[in-house]
Amino acid sequence: MKTYDTIIIGAGHNGLVAAAYLAKKGKKVLVLERRDMVGGQVVTESFGENFKVDSLHAGGTLRPDIIKHLNLASHGLVVDTVRKPFISLQADSKHLVFDADPAKAAESIKRFSEKDAANWIPFLDFMNKVSRFVHSANAAIMPRLPKGFNASEGMALAKLGINVRMLGGKNMMRIIRGIPMTADEFVDEWFESDIVKAAVASLGLHGFTLGAFGAGTGYTLMHNWANRGGMSHVSVQGGIGKISEALAGAVRLLGGEIRTNAEVKKVVIKDMRASGVVLSNGEEISSGNVISAADPKHTFLSLVGAMELPPEFVWNVQSIKMRGSVAKVHLLTDGKHGIPDGTVVVAPSIKYLEKAYDAAKYHQISEKPYLEVTTSGNVVSIHFQFAAYKLKSGDWKTEGAKVEKIAMDTLAEYFPDLKPSIVNRKVLTPLDLETTYGLTEGDLNHGQLMLDQFMFMRPIPGWSNHRTPIDNLYLCGSGVHGGGGVSGASGRNVVKVLK
Amino acid sequence: MQQLRNTPFHERTSALCQPQNWRKWAGYYVVGSYEHTIDREYWAIRNSAALIDVTPLMKYMIKGKDAANLLDRVTTRNIHKMSVGQVYYTAWCDDEGKMIDDGTVARLDETTFRLTSAEPNLRWLMMNAVGFDVHISEVSDSVASLSLQGPNSRSVLKRVCESDVEGLKYFRLMKNKLGGVEVTISRTGYTGDLGYEIWMEAKDALKVWDALMEAGQDYGITPVGILALDMTRVEAGLFMLDVDYTSASHAWIEAQKSSPFELGLDWTVALDKPGYFVGRKALEKEKKEGSSWKMVGIEIDWVGMEALYAEVGLPPQVPGTAVRASMPIMVGNVQVGYASTASWSPLLKKYIALAHLEKPYYELGTDVRMEITVEHHRKHAPAKVVKLPFYEPEWKKK
Repeated sequence: MKTYDTIIIGAGHNGLVAAAYLAKKGKKVLVLERRDMVGGQVVTESFGENFKVDSLHAGGTLRPDIIKHLNLASHGLVVDTVRKPFISLQADSKHLVFDADPAKAAESIKRFSEKDAANWIPFLDFMNKVSRFVHSANAAIMPRLPKGFNASEGMALAKLGINVRMLGGKNMMRIIRGIPMTADEFVDEWFESDIVKAAVASLGLHGFTLGAFGAGTGYTLMHNWANRGGMSHVSVQGGIGKISEALAGAVRLLGGEIRTNAEVKKVVIKDMRASGVVLSNGEEISSGNVISAADPKHTFLSLVGAMELPPEFVWNVQSIKMRGSVAKVHLLTDGKHGIPDGTVVVAPSIKYLEKAYDAAKYHQISEKPYLEVTTSGNVVSIHFQFAAYKLKSGDWKTEGAKVEKIAMDTLAEYFPDLKPSIVNRKVLTPLDLETTYGLTEGDLNHGQLMLDQFMFMRPIPGWSNHRTPIDNLYLCGSGVHGGGGVSGASGRNVVKVLK
Repeated sequence: MQQLRNTPFHERTSALCQPQNWRKWAGYYVVGSYEHTIDREYWAIRNSAALIDVTPLMKYMIKGKDAANLLDRVTTRNIHKMSVGQVYYTAWCDDEGKMIDDGTVARLDETTFRLTSAEPNLRWLMMNAVGFDVHISEVSDSVASLSLQGPNSRSVLKRVCESDVEGLKYFRLMKNKLGGVEVTISRTGYTGDLGYEIWMEAKDALKVWDALMEAGQDYGITPVGILALDMTRVEAGLFMLDVDYTSASHAWIEAQKSSPFELGLDWTVALDKPGYFVGRKALEKEKKEGSSWKMVGIEIDWVGMEALYAEVGLPPQVPGTAVRASMPIMVGNVQVGYASTASWSPLLKKYIALAHLEKPYYELGTDVRMEITVEHHRKHAPAKVVKLPFYEPEWKKK
């Protein structure tokens, strides 16, 4: 029987980043992927003839240092250097356009508020500092509070402290204050126009089951801004799946193995120590370490099993809030959809965003949803919020059609040519996110990035450093600190703590 | 406001309880003593047959395919080694290896167990049952229990039970019929004497009581309250939750918690069993590194104590019941521990105590001194660390 230094469960971007770094260190790694393709959430798939789409994320980039370390450019990864505009749709078709050129964006903002236009460049400057803070925080291994932390964990935290302090006292304070704020309060410090505020605040809701008046959306706004490197998505030439393909290429070139159609059923545990995995076909593969890139709930409650874990740990894992509420609607058109290029949002007012979220709170589907729309040639991709994973009535086997209808009706109000242009369509419900992409409760983040589930409380307090109660078993997915969105931070970090 | 409840035996016990000496136990009223002094009740346990209402024990039924797996995970013992009809005494710990509670596990059949405990443990059991195919139900109220203790207890049961209890071994149980009702009889108890515990449906409680009282008449059967029981359990070296140790689930500070090793339960910690059980890592570590505390028995030196009383012109005085108080234990001028329960043993004619001593003072034979109050003044009576139990009659396990 072949044995490996490390087996990685899941070929999502974090799993692949971890694999590539380990392979680079000369370790014998094996990545096991349940689906027939690598990428996890970072995939470009075909849903029919000429219907190739970025299934879940319209864009994204890995952290630049990761791209450089792993030499991903040589594996065909080309990130668009031109940032497309972020457009907030208005009923009168005089849309608010945040152009990548700050001066142009300010010009568009001016139509809504002179003051907001004047604040745009200082705001961008502040958000750049915010991004530096978020990346620096996500690069740090979080200490295992309240158990106390060792010297290296203390060092990482001290370094983070210094990095934040270097942003300047005033900015440091503003960032720290911004974390527990609501997105509404956060933007209210800079802007007066509800239209401008809602457009910026929508970033704080993207991917999360939280409203604009929800505590901590100040943080999620900063988090998403940092991962996007701005407001609009950065698309990847050839589709976001190229990121995963480039990573897989790097892993293989460095001597790592990747197996698709290889679903891990169980982590093999003997005397509280992981020693390999069992696949769903019964095959057992042994290894020195096991890293799970799957979400913590699935990892601990299914792959490990509650019986192998301390009761209070299990209790905490059961309590992780997943609560997915994102659906995707992809439309293949004849090209005459009329939607402009860029990241296009339906987020007309702060209250609109909050009301859209109310549906999730009451286990429903938003009748007036917050939408984020991107186009790629003839394909229109709609990110739909909110569609609660757990529905009060009806179930996701049939309710997908409702999401599709609401999404199309909402967009058609702005783009009357859209409906007649539709040739084919594909809806991905929260249940599809769970069954197809392995996301428990359809949560893209492997656990909501709420104030009580972030930083040193991610995935649960006391276990924020990728380690688990099972020796030689580590976590590296979005559910650990660094995760949430596409950056590769948690995949990078796990390698630092591996024995 | 929480209302204390009466046990299913209340109709009988209340009629007999002369001093109205009621005690609170796990939400129930139970008799402290049936007479104004407890001597007769104490001697019934040691010389004849004592009938004690122990219904307030918490009781849980654990059933299902994974029942043994769950208990093996929760408790420190190797439950898979248990045969049907066997009873284990066990501790259970939190994941830091600190004791939450202790009690007995009885294997009623291959997939059915009854667990007893001093305090509520349902949530803890449920928390541990995630992923197990098991059904847990609390039967504290629906199952009544009587403890029949003392050298004559077997003879009483032989007279009244449908099936012979002669072959029932120590820490085993059997199904039986008594006073016309179905009961389970286990050879267990809290006195360190020959004794049995009888488990029945609460509705049958009075029938069983009456049958036992009638059958035991010729054997000196005596209803006994928990004050006499408390004295005998000290003689037997058995500790009590909230008196001799604090549950990890409601200790205020770390120092209040105890591990099973610290309470002398080394023999119940099956570190050789496979897989995870709650507290395993911490217990392995403590086993390797040694415990910093140990519960031991101490005997107070009568002559030494006599001298302290003689200083003020008094003869030695000993308490009439077990004393549940913390009494400092010294070596030289340094406090090295404390006694948590002390009792005069009428049978041994000795003043004894359960004491918690720091390393290395817990070694057998160590000379220590225990604080006693002599005519309002703190004094230190010489004492010695001795082996537990203080008293173990040959008929206990025979």
